[in-house]
Amino acid sequence: MSAVRMAVDVGGIKMKNPVSTAAGTFGYGWQFDSLMDVSALGAITTKGCAALPWPGNPAPRMAEVPGGMMNSVGLQNPGVRGFVEQSGTYLERLAGKGTQIICQVAGHSTAEYVSALELFCELCPWAAGFELNVSCPNVAEGGIACGSTPEAAAEVVRACRRVCDRPLLVKMAPVRVDEIARAVEDAGADALTIINSIPGMSIDIETHRSRLSRPTGGLSGPLLHPIAVRMVWEAFRAVRIPIIGVGGIMTGADAAEFILAGATSVAVGMASLVDPGASLRILAELEAWADRQGVSDINELVGAFEA
Amino acid sequence: MPTPSPARVHDFEVVSNESIAERIFSIEIAAPELARAISPGQFVNVAVPGNAMSLLRIPLSYVRADIDAGSIVMWYAVVGDGTRRLSRMKPGETSTLLGPGGRGWSVPDSTTRALLVAGGIGVPPVLCLAHELHERGIAFDVCLGSMSAKTLVGAEQFRYLGAGTVCVSTDDGTAGLCGFCTDPAADMLLAGGYDYVATCGPAPMMRKTAAAAAEAGTYCEASLERMMSCGFGACGTCNVETTEGMEGACMCGPVFDASKVVVW
Repeated sequence: MSAVRMAVDVGGIKMKNPVSTAAGTFGYGWQFDSLMDVSALGAITTKGCAALPWPGNPAPRMAEVPGGMMNSVGLQNPGVRGFVEQSGTYLERLAGKGTQIICQVAGHSTAEYVSALELFCELCPWAAGFELNVSCPNVAEGGIACGSTPEAAAEVVRACRRVCDRPLLVKMAPVRVDEIARAVEDAGADALTIINSIPGMSIDIETHRSRLSRPTGGLSGPLLHPIAVRMVWEAFRAVRIPIIGVGGIMTGADAAEFILAGATSVAVGMASLVDPGASLRILAELEAWADRQGVSDINELVGAFEA
Repeated sequence: MPTPSPARVHDFEVVSNESIAERIFSIEIAAPELARAISPGQFVNVAVPGNAMSLLRIPLSYVRADIDAGSIVMWYAVVGDGTRRLSRMKPGETSTLLGPGGRGWSVPDSTTRALLVAGGIGVPPVLCLAHELHERGIAFDVCLGSMSAKTLVGAEQFRYLGAGTVCVSTDDGTAGLCGFCTDPAADMLLAGGYDYVATCGPAPMMRKTAAAAAEAGTYCEASLERMMSCGFGACGTCNVETTEGMEGACMCGPVFDASKVVVW
């Protein structure tokens, strides 16, 4: 049994350990309930929800690529009210067991983010915080545009800050990370989630068509891990707020790289789709690594990378 | 909270794995708990070793489960890297799978005679259903389609299970009728006598079968194929557009009430 203290504080969200799950790869939590002990995780981030239901994109929504996958789900969601009706009881019970619930907020415009967040604040007293997804690559009307410039990202955060006194995280687009990180920190963000999937293309060379229903999709998986680690490090040097590192974590070693680069916490994504229990295995491996490092508190390793 | 998937991660061992037609293999795997839990029309999501760059599991339907032997048999077509690696797995090799997944066939108790329409590698879940119909004493006929005699599978097994008629069609005419199996299926439906239709195969085949069933006023179920990441409702990649909105093929399907399917 490790003696390392694993608890972390992500912008006011107090997690019993640094391992959480990336939005969009863990459903609303209950999908994993019969497959693993979800309550052993530090936090889960639920799939993004908007104020009103979104249908998402047509099929095909997934294509496998070497070392990862691409998706064009397009933030299909039942709307905040549908989400609470469907999953609220389960999530409240999970929160009662000490696993923090971070609800991801989706929108096409600043007004839509605010509207969804207001509903979340009203209907989800058990939510520890909210993650603003300003960087989904599969939403045509806004999404990526909202998170691609410091000004647009900051506008969303400022407006959301005015209606919410619980911790606000920003899911960052994989562009201009240091600039946008500074802008959303100044606008009132409590923490950053770095990074969202990266826009990519996969073409069926026989049909000359995209392997998804849209020309581009979000690339995720271990192939983008080094890019995400670099972006966490860039943001860590640019801001003082904590960071959740996301991108291709398949092992405890991958998670450890994020911690060393400056992430206070990590979120497991594609690995949970391949192996439902991956997040707990990664937690155990991360704890063993911290123990081997000879520290008494995993926070001592945050940003310990030596250039 | 909605009902979580009944799927579990199971270890399995290959019992046998051999070619049964051009590019089509039959694999038997030992997985005793799964054999007890799975029901016709459900699927499993198989991790195939051998390529560290290929991470996702492969969703496969199955032909039959043998509870006494603790094994299930699956037929699959070799279409890409994953199924090619699967075809090279030898008896004794092990891996894991996630299952049973999804919702299978739900043949109404009132069914007296069923028409099964299967094409290409859509045969396995329909053949699995034929085993159930045989056990329940429900009469059935089969319209079976394939590109050619070389890729045709299932005719012998359907006959063995007591099918009244097995009408074979091939695209090139090398076995049975020349053409698509949807044409004899439509004729048989219009002639009447069926109160249940089950179909699995290429999307156009299922769409035509569903339309013919609707015209005949016969309840029809279809097993749909979608690209799939997780297989238990977490990712939202395998959704099917239905009259009730987007529904995950891994949880609400793969078998759907055909009259609900909007996009095949």
